[in-house]
Amino acid sequence: MDWLENELRRALAREDPPDGFAERVMARSARRPSGTRRWLAAAAMVVVAVGAAGAWRQHQGYEAKREMMLALQLASAPIDRIQSEIRGITQ
Amino acid sequence: MKTLLLFACLTALPMLAAPQQFELNLDSVAAKASEHVDVSLNAATLQFAAKFLDANDPDDAKVKKLIEGIEGIYVRHYKFKSAGTWTQADLEPIRAQLHGPDWSKIVSTTSSEDGANTEVWLHIAGNKNIGVAILAAEPNSVTVVNIAGNIDLESLAKLGGHFGVPKVKPADKPKKEE
Amino acid sequence: MLTEAVETGCDFGALVLRHQSTVFSIALHFLRDRATAEEVAQEVFFSLHRNLQQIETPAHAAAWLRKVAVQRSIDEGRRRSRRPQVALADVAEPTASIRPGDPLLSELLRKLISTLPEAPRMVMVLRYQEDLEPAEIAAALEMPVATVKSHLQRSLALLRGKLARRGVGESEWTG
Repeated sequence: MDWLENELRRALAREDPPDGFAERVMARSARRPSGTRRWLAAAAMVVVAVGAAGAWRQHQGYEAKREMMLALQLASAPIDRIQSEIRGITQ
Repeated sequence: MKTLLLFACLTALPMLAAPQQFELNLDSVAAKASEHVDVSLNAATLQFAAKFLDANDPDDAKVKKLIEGIEGIYVRHYKFKSAGTWTQADLEPIRAQLHGPDWSKIVSTTSSEDGANTEVWLHIAGNKNIGVAILAAEPNSVTVVNIAGNIDLESLAKLGGHFGVPKVKPADKPKKEE
Repeated sequence: MLTEAVETGCDFGALVLRHQSTVFSIALHFLRDRATAEEVAQEVFFSLHRNLQQIETPAHAAAWLRKVAVQRSIDEGRRRSRRPQVALADVAEPTASIRPGDPLLSELLRKLISTLPEAPRMVMVLRYQEDLEPAEIAAALEMPVATVKSHLQRSLALLRGKLARRGVGESEWTG
């Protein structure tokens, strides 16, 4: 095994985060509704308030949102790359 | 009466959704692709989708602000099993349209590492930017984007990495233990 | 301990405990700032919490977390890129001869890696922290495998050269 690669593994060995990290993450996450709970709550409200037609519109809405996010993701990647390359040249 | 009808039609025009600003005719690319993504969202669909953005989610809030000036997003994305499947000639139908008088190329970069080429064009009308075309060609993928309307490209770039749902499949072999 | 069991059986609390070192370390080795690495790592887990229903298996969760940690670390690195960075000239010369396993060498290597451009820097982190093969690194970074290999080769050659100029090289090793 190459000596430098050995040393790189040693230098880049995983480190633990600061004490209490997991507790802080879980405490803050408990205050934020999860994706699952958000979906269930929204679906329940729609069914009660506006019936099945409303639920279908909700589904269509989230589908439209998913498509929009996908389109923006595909559009942002090349712009992001250009910015990085320009930054790399000017530094 | 005729004049009234014409006037009514003209005033109605701004309310119509902006269609894509050039033909996304990439049949020759599509025929060679192993996967493709085809998204066409007009203004009405974008407004509808925006209602389902969560104002309390920082990522959703950034997206909501970004799309305020957009009237349509049209994306064609193709992936290929191996490099060299598509050629520059396949992209000529797109480039030919962008060489028109209303389009202005603002950036073109080519990576020396993998030959990836990215071009950004602005659609100008009366000294105003009314759209953007992005052409990103890599060895294993081609992406063509038209965004109709006004968009802040810097904000668009900053969205990179904020779409936290990559569909990553489990690795085949066991990895380093946690 | 707060946990959230979902249909897939992926318990959020267990995932945090299991993967916190990986996620934190990717951010730390890429950004070289503990406080920022902790913030990034927290954001990665909040993102997991929001998208937990899309995680299919524990192995999927591991790969997902790694990929999002990479993305968020790179994002944060770009946000910070306007601030002055450590220049290679600022990396202090070792004042004593360095032996294998010397913490000084590890620290020197970490500083040298932090001077690499973002793509090769993350490639090195994924290779030597996570032991990923080039194909896995390519998938995580969405770049061609050939580019990954090129980054690895060039970065190793660069590091060897810089270490040699500081009098640190293979000849220093007896084993």
